[in-house]
Amino acid sequence: MTVFLALLQRDVLVARRNAGPLLVATLTQPILVVLVFGNLLPRMQLVADEFRTVMLPGLMAITMMMAGVQGVLMPLVQDLSGGREVDERILTPIGVRGVALERIVAGALHAAVAGLIALPAMMLLMHQVSGMEVHPAWPALLPLAALCGLLSAAFGLTLGTHVQPRFSGLLFAVVLGPMMLFGCAYYPWAALAALGPVRYLFLLNPLTFMSEAMRLAVTPNVPHMPLGLLLGGLLGFLALFTILGARSFERRTIL
Amino acid sequence: MSLLVVDNLVKTYPGGRKSPPVEAVRGISFAVEKGELFGLLGPNGAGKSTTIGCINTLVRPTAGRILVDGVDITRAPPEAKRRIAVVPQTRNLDSDLTVREILTYHGRYFGLPAAEREARADRLLEELKVADKARAKPKTLSGGQQQRVMIARALMHDPQLVLLDEPTTGLDPQARRLLWDILRGLHQRGLTLILTTHYMEEADRLCQRLAIVDHGRILTLDTPAALKKTLPGAQVLDLWVRAPRPLAPQLRAIPGVQNLEHVEVEGDGDEHERLRLFVDPKDGLLDRVLHAVREGGADLHHVNLAQPSLEDVYIHLTGKELRE
Ligand SMILES: Nc1ncnc2c1ncn2[C@@H]1O[C@H](COP(=O)(O)OP(=O)(O)OP(=O)(O)O)[C@@H](O)[C@H]1O
Ligand SMILES: [Mg+2]
Repeated sequence: MTVFLALLQRDVLVARRNAGPLLVATLTQPILVVLVFGNLLPRMQLVADEFRTVMLPGLMAITMMMAGVQGVLMPLVQDLSGGREVDERILTPIGVRGVALERIVAGALHAAVAGLIALPAMMLLMHQVSGMEVHPAWPALLPLAALCGLLSAAFGLTLGTHVQPRFSGLLFAVVLGPMMLFGCAYYPWAALAALGPVRYLFLLNPLTFMSEAMRLAVTPNVPHMPLGLLLGGLLGFLALFTILGARSFERRTIL
Repeated sequence: MSLLVVDNLVKTYPGGRKSPPVEAVRGISFAVEKGELFGLLGPNGAGKSTTIGCINTLVRPTAGRILVDGVDITRAPPEAKRRIAVVPQTRNLDSDLTVREILTYHGRYFGLPAAEREARADRLLEELKVADKARAKPKTLSGGQQQRVMIARALMHDPQLVLLDEPTTGLDPQARRLLWDILRGLHQRGLTLILTTHYMEEADRLCQRLAIVDHGRILTLDTPAALKKTLPGAQVLDLWVRAPRPLAPQLRAIPGVQNLEHVEVEGDGDEHERLRLFVDPKDGLLDRVLHAVREGGADLHHVNLAQPSLEDVYIHLTGKELRE
């Protein structure tokens, strides 16, 4: 446990040193999307007011997903390509699985911080237009944000260890892009009822559960997924990606 | 009881879609006693790093057993990991930290209390002559300095067994000598060291015992002095010749010539042949050898007479020169 904390401490130190570029990298995109869809378009009356309420938690989920994946992927690329800096950590008493879990927790911290910074920033940007129903329920928000962060980071570990480091740029175009469009970020799960059974395909996307979790926590008045399904999805995907990610991390690092 | 026992170690890297499997280590066994300075000497691709990797758990053995202080290391028990430290072949200092942080964080990873790790970091920076680089990032250090920081890092958690994979490759002669002094110092303090190298001179000067490895097997294992004694004859006479017909039969017949070997001369492009004669010096021996060469119609390019070195042992065992 002390090894785990020491590794985490090192990651937090390094992240704090790179905080500027790191936050810019993860926050720019969602903030600009909010600016356009949450501020400009409603003012031009090109989208309905409700859309902003629907979109805000979705964008938080996207922000956390990107931050969690990046928070794991960037150090992972460094670890798995040539330099093998990761070996020092694997040789500590905690072992290779411990290092994998630590990486997930560090990525989750990154994601949670990004998500919690994004929320007020977005609310501020959208504030100029009326008709928002944002009432963050903090006691629900914090644990759900932590869970979403862990899930994103575990997903990042799975992606990063299954793909050659030099192709990691492709992940964003091929995997994360489509996920964002089909992850209930810009429309609520409840509204998908209109599609019939096709809606269940959306449950294959972990972002669906993250978006709905944020919806539950940030805009409780908007209809959202039942809590049981929500938690089941989040925990199920978390377990799946933690196992897959840790396993392939081990395969990639122990020859 | 030996501090390290390697018993019939085998490692075959699984092949990929386009590459066949590689038998990097094919049954290596040796034991290292507490306080020993042990060497693995071999050319590129001999399996040195793979053997070191198996001992430090970064490579999973295909077969065989490795015991550190009686504990099976392949199960990677935390207690066994604490006893080992590794100085890898590729420099892998944490590029996000400063040199001093690298040491103190390494101490943290191994659970050292704050006061102890700070004091030890300062002492080791001093000892390995990198104190002036304490606040620098590792990427700004020279190869020799990085190597010494890696050794300092390895010593942070007070290991019993230090594995050094080609610690002096790529260093200039001065940096290499400094590193030798450091390694001798560690050895004198009672640390057990295992180092790999492909420098004959290094193995000869530094190691108490050494194993010569090639193609994943140990060819021979003993003290440098004993290895040299295994050669036939007291001296080695090397001839570089260009001969129209084989000289060996005549040369072998000369009294005092104990043995003769052809040595592969890699890639020089000229047609000189290297003949190696193991001889017991006798009056007129050199004369008779030169006479035989002339009789054979050969063109003598170069001659060298010397005490047997480890390199001769290596050539004797493999029939190859080991190029540095
Ligand atoms: N990860 C790997 N996958 C496949 N083959 C490998 C791998 N690592 C090493 N090998 C092969 O195993 C053999 C032994 O390699 P190893 O690195 O142990 O040699 P070495 O004695 O350390 O050589 P060097 O002096 O070049 O460091 C070589 O043929 C090498 O190509
Ligand atoms: Mg090697």
